[in-house]
Amino acid sequence: MTFKDLPGNLIRLLISMLIAAVALMPIVWGLLSSFKTPQDILRTVPQWLPNTFTWQNYASIFKAGTGGYIFNSVLVSGGTVAVCLALGSIAGYGLARFEFAGKRAVTVAIIAVMSIPVASLLIPTYTMMAEAGLVNTRTGLILVYSAYQLPIVIWIMATYYQTLPEELEWSALIDGYTRTQTLTKIVLPLAKPALIAATLFVLTFAWNDFVVAVTLLSSDTVRTLPIGIYNFLGFYGREWGPLLAASMVSIVPLVALFVVLQRFFVAGMTGGGVKG
Amino acid sequence: MTDRPDTGASIQFSGIRKRYGSTVALDELHLDIEPGEFVSLLGPSGSGKSTTLNILAGLLAPDAGTVFIGGRDVTHLSPNKRDIAMVFQNYALYPHMSVAENLAFPLQAPGRKLGSDAIAAKVSQVAETLGISQLLQRQPREISGGQQQRVALGRAMVRDPKVFLLDEPLSNLDARLRLRMRRDLKALHQRLRSTIVYVTHDQSEAMSLSDRVAIYMGGKLQQFAPPLEIYRHPVNLFVAQFMGEREMNTLVGQVETTERGCVMVSGSLRLPLEDTATWNRLHGRQVIMGIRAEGVQIATSEEQQSTPAKVRLVEHAGAEQVFFAEAGSTEFCGRVPADAGLRAGDAIQLRLLPHELFLFDAATGLALVQSGQPVGNPA
Repeated sequence: MTFKDLPGNLIRLLISMLIAAVALMPIVWGLLSSFKTPQDILRTVPQWLPNTFTWQNYASIFKAGTGGYIFNSVLVSGGTVAVCLALGSIAGYGLARFEFAGKRAVTVAIIAVMSIPVASLLIPTYTMMAEAGLVNTRTGLILVYSAYQLPIVIWIMATYYQTLPEELEWSALIDGYTRTQTLTKIVLPLAKPALIAATLFVLTFAWNDFVVAVTLLSSDTVRTLPIGIYNFLGFYGREWGPLLAASMVSIVPLVALFVVLQRFFVAGMTGGGVKG
Repeated sequence: MTDRPDTGASIQFSGIRKRYGSTVALDELHLDIEPGEFVSLLGPSGSGKSTTLNILAGLLAPDAGTVFIGGRDVTHLSPNKRDIAMVFQNYALYPHMSVAENLAFPLQAPGRKLGSDAIAAKVSQVAETLGISQLLQRQPREISGGQQQRVALGRAMVRDPKVFLLDEPLSNLDARLRLRMRRDLKALHQRLRSTIVYVTHDQSEAMSLSDRVAIYMGGKLQQFAPPLEIYRHPVNLFVAQFMGEREMNTLVGQVETTERGCVMVSGSLRLPLEDTATWNRLHGRQVIMGIRAEGVQIATSEEQQSTPAKVRLVEHAGAEQVFFAEAGSTEFCGRVPADAGLRAGDAIQLRLLPHELFLFDAATGLALVQSGQPVGNPA
């Protein structure tokens, strides 16, 4: 950076900071307010920092059963990620490396279904799950989430595989390994950025989803965290403290994961995108 | 080929054909490689040499024909069952493994039941042979191109395969390193005596390394013979042009027989030819004459048959000078010792050495005269 660029860079920095501030403000406000007493939250001249710092809101949401919701969310999100990666990494490999009849049709279909909004699929999905007896089960939710997210996972994986030199796989084949062993020993370790990117994609969807979960789940024991948060509105009326605390419990793990993995996430997206 | 302790396997291609869509990549390839032989597949890109190698490795399936390795039909065997090793142009080192892990990888393959001690011993032995022992703990991206090349070779050597396939292994190295690796490869082959199939588009590599060279063009094998044989007796104009450091000097024309002997007539140029007997019978035929730079010399005395020419350009090449001289409208490239002191603009008398003359049919390109000898009439 030369001195001549300084004004331009300063302006760019200021604009970035402004955008970041606008995006982060509600979250920071929520985080700070989740440690406030009810009186502090509703103060007519709003204050950023709590007058008295309290864990009371967090204590009350866990007393109300949020632990169970978190467990369900972890189970469903983890299950969805497992199913999507297991199937997507293999299907993507097939698309990237093999010629077969109808390959073009399959590719087009995978891209096409990615553009269908989830909401328009709710009713048919519900009917199907009802017929299969999977309504109101976590297994059902995992299957539905996986069906929604699998196309994007296949796509991320396939485009990333195509950027890997095929000679590596040939070399392993000649060295005495089968296709499957080549996949597990060479291809998948090298596709780690794409696997992480796909994980974050799927996880974000499964962890945050409200509309599919609320449609398919009815009993309290299988509910996921987003529904749990929504229910606080009903349980506590205008009590914002527990609601904000529950929101933070939902946001923080994902944000933390993104911060830790964002390096790979960017690599995965660009690495797959250049040639795709 | 029976007097030396060969450990390699023989290779046969029988009637191999391969198409990609409408382009013919290989057309009826028949090729027999002896055990322990070093064979180069030479040709321009898209000539079918890499297709041949990939079919041999099992990475490509031929449309028709059979491949044998060591007398065994391997046409439908997968690469891991062929007992071959291959070095790729980009080396294909596994980027997520250290050099030692790369070298050990082929030995850890299922079906090769080696203990970890045996593997470690073998890895360090190979590393020592190639002088890469100090690199074992490094990652492939942390070592130089030449070192990566050695690791790739080591990974191929480590399980003592019967057949080595090398796909342009030296083309990513700089010129000097390439020469050194060429020498090392040759020494390695003399020691291992494995069969080596070497793909290259560099005729000097093929010439210096191989026992025999297979020259390809347009999916067809043109000639399969020892390097010198190909150099001296190319079957057609393409082979003659491709083999050799520089392109042959060529001129299109006719041989005419006069009372004073034979002349090659090309436009306004009339080149007197010695050895009338060789040329007589080609009288009147449309031909392409070829002569390599070493056959174009400067006449020293008046009695030699010579052609006046003017020097256009002189290149210095160490021990010799390469000159380009114009005679009529044709440019000839020739060589003289460095101390000849030739300069651009000099008027000279060109002499074409009779035993360096080649003649090809203008229509088919087939050789009529090789190294001054009529085809089908060996000296």
